[in-house]
Amino acid sequence: MRAAAAAAPIIARRPLGRGGLALGIGAMLLVAALMAAVAAGSVGVGIGETAAILGRRLLGLPIPRTWPLSAETIIVELRLPRVLTAMLVGGGLAMAGTVFQALLRNPMADPYIIGTAAGASLGAITGLLAPILLPALAIGAGTVWLGLGAVQVLAFAGGLGTVLLVYSIARQGGQVPVVTLLLTGYAVSSILAAGVALLMFLSGRALGAIFGWLMGSLAGATWPGLAFSAPILAVSFGLLLLRWRRLNVLLLGDTAAAHLGIDVEREKLTLTVLATLGTSAAVAISGTIGFVGLVVPHVLRLAVGPDHRLLLPASVLYGAALLTLADLGARLAGGIPVGIVTALIGAPFFLWLLRRSRAVRPVITA
Amino acid sequence: MTVAVAVEPLACTRGVAFGYPLPGGRRREVLTSVDLSLPRGSLLAIVGTNGSGKTTLLRLLAGVLTPDAGEVEFGGQPLAEWRRVDLARRVAVLPQQLDLPVGFRVAELVEMGRAPHARSLFGSTDADEQAVARALSDADALDLADRFADELSGGERQRVLVAMALAQEPELLLMDEPTLHLDLAHQVALLSAIRRLQAQRGLTVVAVLHDLNLAAAFAPRIVVLHHGAVAADGPPQEVLTPQLVQEVFGVAVLEARTGTGNRHLAVDFDG
Amino acid sequence: MAPRLRSPLLPLVLLALVLGACASPSVSPSISAPASAAPSQPRHVVFPVTLTDDTGRVVTLTARPERIVSLAPSNTEIVCALGACDRLVGVTDFDDYPAEVAGIPKVVIGAQVDVEKVVAANPDLIIAAGNELTPSTVITRLANLGYPVLVLYPRDLAAVEGDITLVGNALDAAGLAATVVADMQVRIAAVQAALAGADRPRTFYEVGLFGGSIYTAGADSFLASLISLAGGDPITGDSLSTAIQLEALVAADPQLILLGDAAYDPSVTPASVGVRAGWGAMSAVSSDRILVMADDEVITRPGPRIVDGLEALARAIHPELFP
Repeated sequence: MRAAAAAAPIIARRPLGRGGLALGIGAMLLVAALMAAVAAGSVGVGIGETAAILGRRLLGLPIPRTWPLSAETIIVELRLPRVLTAMLVGGGLAMAGTVFQALLRNPMADPYIIGTAAGASLGAITGLLAPILLPALAIGAGTVWLGLGAVQVLAFAGGLGTVLLVYSIARQGGQVPVVTLLLTGYAVSSILAAGVALLMFLSGRALGAIFGWLMGSLAGATWPGLAFSAPILAVSFGLLLLRWRRLNVLLLGDTAAAHLGIDVEREKLTLTVLATLGTSAAVAISGTIGFVGLVVPHVLRLAVGPDHRLLLPASVLYGAALLTLADLGARLAGGIPVGIVTALIGAPFFLWLLRRSRAVRPVITA
Repeated sequence: MTVAVAVEPLACTRGVAFGYPLPGGRRREVLTSVDLSLPRGSLLAIVGTNGSGKTTLLRLLAGVLTPDAGEVEFGGQPLAEWRRVDLARRVAVLPQQLDLPVGFRVAELVEMGRAPHARSLFGSTDADEQAVARALSDADALDLADRFADELSGGERQRVLVAMALAQEPELLLMDEPTLHLDLAHQVALLSAIRRLQAQRGLTVVAVLHDLNLAAAFAPRIVVLHHGAVAADGPPQEVLTPQLVQEVFGVAVLEARTGTGNRHLAVDFDG
Repeated sequence: MAPRLRSPLLPLVLLALVLGACASPSVSPSISAPASAAPSQPRHVVFPVTLTDDTGRVVTLTARPERIVSLAPSNTEIVCALGACDRLVGVTDFDDYPAEVAGIPKVVIGAQVDVEKVVAANPDLIIAAGNELTPSTVITRLANLGYPVLVLYPRDLAAVEGDITLVGNALDAAGLAATVVADMQVRIAAVQAALAGADRPRTFYEVGLFGGSIYTAGADSFLASLISLAGGDPITGDSLSTAIQLEALVAADPQLILLGDAAYDPSVTPASVGVRAGWGAMSAVSSDRILVMADDEVITRPGPRIVDGLEALARAIHPELFP
């Protein structure tokens, strides 16, 4: 007992030291990214004017309007929703990627791996093409439902529905083995991807719009779209952050997790649904932006360690900051797809980090 | 006048049967009918041939598997009535092997054993920290606390697994072949430590062992599984006889006595 | 010193550079207050005016538009043909006619509409293109921001005349529009008169070869109707994808091949067509009736110069009737 008491200080929690610093830096980076992204764009609006506009419109400060209305429109109707969307989508994708990498115990997992991308793409492209293929449905072009157009609603439903379908197909005798889930997701995604390819072939003029959606873009960000996706993402963040302990324990394997009192099948389903809700809400308003959900968790795991108590909030912060800055870069580079920027920035950085770190085997067998 | 008081066992199984589902709807029947009673504070070793259902029995006792027939009880209540988390606070399993995720320090891995007891949302309570410290100390792994799993030798990792199980502060410790990857010195060290802990903490211990002599030296009670049922249950000198070993394991052994009077079973290669 | 894993210094430095670069007003459209126009002729009091565009959208203009943004080259040409070139404040980087548009700020770059630049130009009328040339999401976005958006989507020559009339009404240039349309109709009638009684050769207009597919005029497309009007019998592709399979083309056996892609791709020549596998069987190839259509731009741009395109097509199809 005496030895144990002496040992207590040695074992006492230290992560707040290193991890807390990482979270603090992440938060500061995010705030800086936010400010930079609102202040900069393809049209120059002075920093002072930007601050004044935001102060007047967001905080209700009685600042006299000395700027042209178009500047106000740009800041408040175009840039602000776009930047906030970038933050939410970046954070949501990074968080979902972290969860899936733990859940599936697979370092190649990204938020889309069990069918979200394929399902959302099929839904969105159907929405894009329906008015063209069947002009009677052209009414859909302007219809708005819960702040979203047909394309976004179908994307959300397609993503979520596909994952639920994959989950039910992969269920064998009340259990969903991780490998089965992965392979089923792959198979179903392939089928849906064939459907997408067929639609692209038939698309004619709309091919550009389809391609743009598949590459992902924040150009279509609107306040109504945020109003739809933000609550879903916020709930997803909150509930997943609370599950950090279970994510850690799941890394030990299904059997060990069960021995530690976790209802493994129910937990896997809950985690899948929460992460997919977040991913689908993100994809609905921004298309399938790649790279963020796969690489941000890896980079952070190398930097702050695999403990999800730190990794989850860090993923959200750094994922949000990364996508906000990448979108700023994309806008300044002439409106190129944001996925190109994230890959160009992130991939070399990730490779460098990989070379510097310890071996990347995810588990050691004891 | 002494009154014999019937004490309820900590855990027991009654007529338990279990089979693993195979593709094609068939089942691989592993246990046919197992009756086992575990008095509180007892120490017992389970032996048997490969595939005799030793690991399955441990999993049934831990509540991770549900028997096809029969009942498993803990603390006088059927396992089905226990909440998973409550059971995990009382029963710990030391598995044959475990995937340890890279990047966690040993202390953090051991702390995962506190998961069933976890109360606070984001931190750990003093009770948790003390339990972790005690577990590391009892498992003789204090010096490993700051190391990472992939830096450890096989024996060191085994000690970490023991610490993880002890951190759960269980009443019942189920060990599945804990000596499998250890050399003799580590085998003895581990089993001695378990015996010491059993006495200190009042643990009930069930250990699946493959070495009959080690089992006989370690545990005052041996249970032999054969054909899915208990073939023998009792003190080693009564249970581990050459006749039983011949019948269950199909191997001829000779009984020998050491100078200190201990029994020893020796394989008769030339017989 | 190697940067620490967790250090945000590098991105912060980049941030500072970005902010510094953007602090000064950029060269491209800066925010300007609306200019007041001094009318050079007596105003016709016709505003407010309500118009219906080619996609059925109803747009109301409360005053004469003085700041016009055009999102397609054909729209720009229409606006300039109606004498309102000086009222354009935003065009696309594909616009090349007339020469005056070269100095106007570009709000569409590489077929991408930069909504910020459109907003910065402070337009009171936006003229977009249909059929997803201007993505419908962008049209919706601009309309939701409160700008009047007219979408032009002419399906045939008559519809182009209708568009010119429509824009004339929008810009308070109805008289000029009528004149332009009348001129067009005279020239069209002349082409029709010359073609009276002439045969109709089966004509294949090659829009391009991409990714193994052959693209041409789609069935019921503008281009098909133009070829018809120009005295040819158009061979058409799928109405959606505008692609045609080589087998179908061979079966249709064109008597005349017009190379629209030769206008911008120097590797496409009559000789190169002749050696393509499977093309040798076509009448057009064996009789060497393969022509480079340098006027591809006016043939495919549904603006006032479309009649130039009609005449170019007619000349190509019946050179003996249009010396």
